[in-house]
Amino acid sequence: MKYIDMLMRSLSGQRRTLGSFTLRQRLSPTRFLRGEGPEVGPVELHQRRVFILPTRQGLLFAAILLLMLIGSINYDASLGYALTFLLAALSVVAMLHTYRNLLRLRVDIGPAEPVFCGETLRVPVTLENPAGQARFAVSLHFPEQPKAVCDVPADGWVRVELPLSAKRRGRHALPRITLATVFPLGLFRAWAYAEFDARVLIYPRPARATPLPRDSVWQTDLSGDRGQGADDFAGLRNYHPGDPPGHVHWKTLARGQGLHTKQFGGDHAEELWLDWQATAGDAEMRLSILTRWVLEADAAHYRYGLRLPNQTLPLAHEPAQRRRCLKALALFNGGESP
Amino acid sequence: MIERLQQALAWRWRQVERAQLWLLAGLTLALLPHIGRLPWLLILPAALLLGWRLGFELKLARLPPRVLRWLLVGLALAATWASYRTLFGQQAGVALLVIMLCLKLMEMDKPRDVAIVIGLSYFVVITVFLFDQSLLMGGYMLLVVTLLTTALTAFSRPGATLPERANLRLSATLLAQAAPLALLLFVLFPRIPGPLWHLPSDAGRAGTGLSETMSPGNISRLSDNDAVAFRVRFAGETPPQDRLYWRGLALTSFDGRTWRNPNEARRGLGAPRSFDYTAIGESVHYTLTLEPHQRRWLFALDMPASVPPGSTVSADVEIIADNSVKTLRQYSLQSYLDYRLDAGLAPSNFAYLRLPPGMAPRARILAQQLRAESRDDADYVQRVLDFIRQQPFYYTRQPPLLLDDPVDEFLFDSRQGFCEHYASAFTVLMRAAGLPARVMTGYLGGEDNPLGDYFIVRQSDAHAWSEVWLRGRGWVRVDPTAVIPPERVENRDDLERIAPAYAARTGEAPDWAKRLWRNVDYGWDRVNNTWNQWIIGYDEGTQTAFLGRLGLENVDWQRMVSLLFIGLGLVVAVIALQLFRRRPVRRDVVAEAYARFCRKLARRGLPRKPAEGAQDYSMRIIPSRPELAAQIQHITLLYQRLRYARSMPRDGLRHLQQAVRRFRP
Repeated sequence: MKYIDMLMRSLSGQRRTLGSFTLRQRLSPTRFLRGEGPEVGPVELHQRRVFILPTRQGLLFAAILLLMLIGSINYDASLGYALTFLLAALSVVAMLHTYRNLLRLRVDIGPAEPVFCGETLRVPVTLENPAGQARFAVSLHFPEQPKAVCDVPADGWVRVELPLSAKRRGRHALPRITLATVFPLGLFRAWAYAEFDARVLIYPRPARATPLPRDSVWQTDLSGDRGQGADDFAGLRNYHPGDPPGHVHWKTLARGQGLHTKQFGGDHAEELWLDWQATAGDAEMRLSILTRWVLEADAAHYRYGLRLPNQTLPLAHEPAQRRRCLKALALFNGGESP
Repeated sequence: MIERLQQALAWRWRQVERAQLWLLAGLTLALLPHIGRLPWLLILPAALLLGWRLGFELKLARLPPRVLRWLLVGLALAATWASYRTLFGQQAGVALLVIMLCLKLMEMDKPRDVAIVIGLSYFVVITVFLFDQSLLMGGYMLLVVTLLTTALTAFSRPGATLPERANLRLSATLLAQAAPLALLLFVLFPRIPGPLWHLPSDAGRAGTGLSETMSPGNISRLSDNDAVAFRVRFAGETPPQDRLYWRGLALTSFDGRTWRNPNEARRGLGAPRSFDYTAIGESVHYTLTLEPHQRRWLFALDMPASVPPGSTVSADVEIIADNSVKTLRQYSLQSYLDYRLDAGLAPSNFAYLRLPPGMAPRARILAQQLRAESRDDADYVQRVLDFIRQQPFYYTRQPPLLLDDPVDEFLFDSRQGFCEHYASAFTVLMRAAGLPARVMTGYLGGEDNPLGDYFIVRQSDAHAWSEVWLRGRGWVRVDPTAVIPPERVENRDDLERIAPAYAARTGEAPDWAKRLWRNVDYGWDRVNNTWNQWIIGYDEGTQTAFLGRLGLENVDWQRMVSLLFIGLGLVVAVIALQLFRRRPVRRDVVAEAYARFCRKLARRGLPRKPAEGAQDYSMRIIPSRPELAAQIQHITLLYQRLRYARSMPRDGLRHLQQAVRRFRP
């Protein structure tokens, strides 16, 4: 019954041929140019996604081979024929090797640390080689970005940090990665696209040094330690997700009293509201200034909060606060892109 | 001091990009065979440029600026022009390619430049093959190609940290995988009879062997060049050695010192004439493989009954090819050892009678005297030969120089000479008596290669003899050298050639070293002959014959091409399968054996629980089957040791498999 069912389906054209593609999808030229669309990693570069064409040097080589063939015919030089044929065969073999150099490589990405607009993201890319032979000189790059070149050992993996310049604040889909190789002779270039369903966060570009809004600083608690030293133990509070593990008070947990986080008092105990209203200029300018303020306030160990037209982040002083504020600034009003 | 220099050099050496070194090594080795063929005016600058590049790679020198580069290009063009008076043609073209390629090294920084340089270096290899296609050169160039390919692999892997040996191994692997494809292409690619355009007149190297002039008395030493002139395979029985006169070129005009071939200037103009030619006796069939000698004449056993395709025959029955012989040339012919040529008609012009006035007065007197004594022309010929036999004439390879009148001095004073002296003097004596005569040059004899079924004719077998026209008999071959009594032949090798029967009778057996050397020589010649037959001489005809032997009769080129593509597809598929094969999942035989053991117990109602270890399992089941305890413990222990013990017990796997097989719960 099962087989009849399969037969019927294949006759009616519903069955997808060769894995997950219909013939029409497989032959679609857009795949050739744009790849497969975003996917969840790891992506295996099977033979349907690895393309190969001669390089410019390969075409040059072919032209020289043609000249050699004409010369051999003209001078009736048998060893000339032999050499020409050996080199032609060599290029065919090289083509197979180039293709193999990329075939069945597994590509995956890790989370990239957010950076400020204008800086360079470092996207960790893992290349895993399930085959018994090493891969050499595999180059990877994002469109119009510098290349990273690496070798992948047999049965091993390698991790490269792929540069991606951050051009616009917000959360963006990761562009398509191009993997390419011309190994071993440089006559052919095999390439494949890997596009991941992943996003990267880019904070607004911090404005040039802008003084903190001093008038909004309240010196509320003067009992804070003004002595030397950076962080003094100030007490315990309930654990919030995102607190650094180093600050967790493990002893209370061991006593069965639940998770607590150690709180540290800084040199300053000043509170600061960073307010959209206190800035001037267009929206991006204001975001830039606020970003600069967040960085300064954080560096100065203030307790600070952020007031945006659509959102208010309460006063806090903890490592997570900086990230929360920067993220809010990055995503403010249209920072999200598909 | 020296130590510091060494250290500094070693440091620089480590800084060099290895790919550049591979390229420089490959290019230098590719250029080496051209030394001696190219003028020093170009070789030295080429070497200098290679050294310059190496210096740059060692960070010892800077590359020249653009202006200087253009200046160098101009100088290179000027040097080529100065050497050849042209920038085109084969020799000048090769020279220009070499020097421009070396100049390109001065601006090789982009991948494109590197590709051009490596590609053209391969091209240099092919230009070497235009001059020399021997087996040794082929092997040498394979090494060069490997080096150049290694340069390609190294350049496609910039900044690689692996040892260079890996690069070399990679390129050797690639070439080895390419070899079957190349072989298929070589066999099946349709051979197009060249040339596609008119060959440049200077194609090939300077010729060796016979020339179209002969000046006895000018050369005081006959070279003993052992190079092979051609090889012959007889279809039937081999004629006796002293009848193997290989006819080449006729020399008919004499100016008192030098014999010349008059046809050279007007060759190929006149239509081939017809011959009054009567064959007598059996014909001899043979295939001749001629080494390239850069001239147009071909050789045939005296007297050929036809001419090979692509050649014509001259008035003096010389076989003249349409193009000069630049590559190995193979042709099959039929000859008659006994013949009558032009018996019916007297030679139409007086060129065969002409002697320079005032030359050889004593010879003329001798001729008139002998002619007066003889009954007829044939008797006169005999009397002249008798004169040579009876007077103390010697055969020597180092005759004295003859300065004033070579013929008279030879006939009456020195009386020492080799075939050229005898042929020249004899022909002069014939003409002086009014008999049409000419000098023929070619080869005599040859040696049978006992290790292969063929004859070797060497340059040292070159020979000159005379042809005299006798009424009623036509042109008759007369070899005055052959009448010299053997004891007056100085050199043993010459004796073997001139009087083989006498030499065989009197010769002492060669010692074992000589015999061994001779056999090695024959063996090597046989290898070369095979190489020539199958690799160098692989042309349209050989291809058809070879495919015929494979059972592919009458293959036209369309079928050949389709066969070629089918074959290429198959070979590529095999290589691809080999390369793209997924690694087979390795079978875990230990686990399989243990699983069989568990299945056997499961059939008896004692299945292993999914998460149960081997130890726990055995402890659990032994109480229910105490009679099997020993076996179960044995199998479990073996399994555990095979799995977890640091060292593998000897024959452990076999024991486990055996124990499981015998285990019958």
